[in-house]
Amino acid sequence: MNFPASRLTEKMALTLAASLVVAVALLAPVAAAQASPASGSSQNASASSHDRWLHVRITNPGKNEETVRVNLPLELAEKVLPTINKNRLHSGKVSFDDIDCHGVDLRALVDAVRTSKDGEFVTVQSKDSDVRVAKQNGYLFVHVFEKNRPKHSQVEVKVPMKVVDALFSAGKDELDLVAALHALSFQGDTELVSVKDEENTVRVWIDSKNVTD
Amino acid sequence: MLLAKLALGFCGTVAVAGAYTFHEGIMRVEDDHFDGRHVHVWVPAAIVPMALHVVPNRRLERALEHAGPWLPALRELTKELKRYPEADFVEVQDGRQHVRIRTHQGKLLIDAIEPDETVHVACPLVMLEDIARELEARAPAA
Repeated sequence: MNFPASRLTEKMALTLAASLVVAVALLAPVAAAQASPASGSSQNASASSHDRWLHVRITNPGKNEETVRVNLPLELAEKVLPTINKNRLHSGKVSFDDIDCHGVDLRALVDAVRTSKDGEFVTVQSKDSDVRVAKQNGYLFVHVFEKNRPKHSQVEVKVPMKVVDALFSAGKDELDLVAALHALSFQGDTELVSVKDEENTVRVWIDSKNVTD
Repeated sequence: MLLAKLALGFCGTVAVAGAYTFHEGIMRVEDDHFDGRHVHVWVPAAIVPMALHVVPNRRLERALEHAGPWLPALRELTKELKRYPEADFVEVQDGRQHVRIRTHQGKLLIDAIEPDETVHVACPLVMLEDIARELEARAPAA
């Protein structure tokens, strides 16, 4: 009488063990993904150390009601942009052949800026506003300061010339966004755009953090 | 003894099927209206791409005609998002409205909070990639 009982126990143990082994094998990836925020954060940390992030922050300091925060990995944008083929955007390039630039040859203008030495190209000082466009240490600076508002408005744009070069590296009448993003990813932590006016503050910058401050 | 074997076999099968069904996690959609209506959907992520197989071709093709140009972008986006398991991508606060898109523990989380409605969506990134791949495979050739 003992024989069938021990055999049954053996079979039960075997079946249970087999089920557990299969279940563990199948659940292992989930366990690894879910039970290891540490591994997630370490992946994140490694991504943070290698990846460059483009940050956009729009705040409304007066009312403190509207806040927009966007954190975008440049590499993700580089990979996704070429897959979008819609309207003017094709293969990561945007065409501007029929955009009215008020008779200004944009490409010739950029070529002229690129090939010229460091210096100030435009300086306008009036009672309403100050405008300054300059090239300095491999960066193109645009500074606009409007005085005739209740609160002064200030726009600062700082674009690495390498990014400008990459942007205009595509064929005629095209902007190569992917090349520009790629060039941007090799830049150090940089503030690209800063706008301060009576209502909003806008900041665009790149760094290696995946969160805004 | 036969019953015991059957029970064991059943338990084993349930354990294996359960493990497989939930191995990709759970997709969760919660929609709470402040008038008391609640819609809470919890679906094993592994089932969702499979469910696409039972959607009638006619209906799916019609939807894919509009979504077609965006499918490669969706596929690449879901593939790339897996590299960022813990990240905040978008956060918009406008008065009492709040929208947040982020990844947490390998899931894409979308939270939209309005004065009269709250929506929380959590999708495992693996599932989104599977869906994108499945949709692209079934999209009519351009």
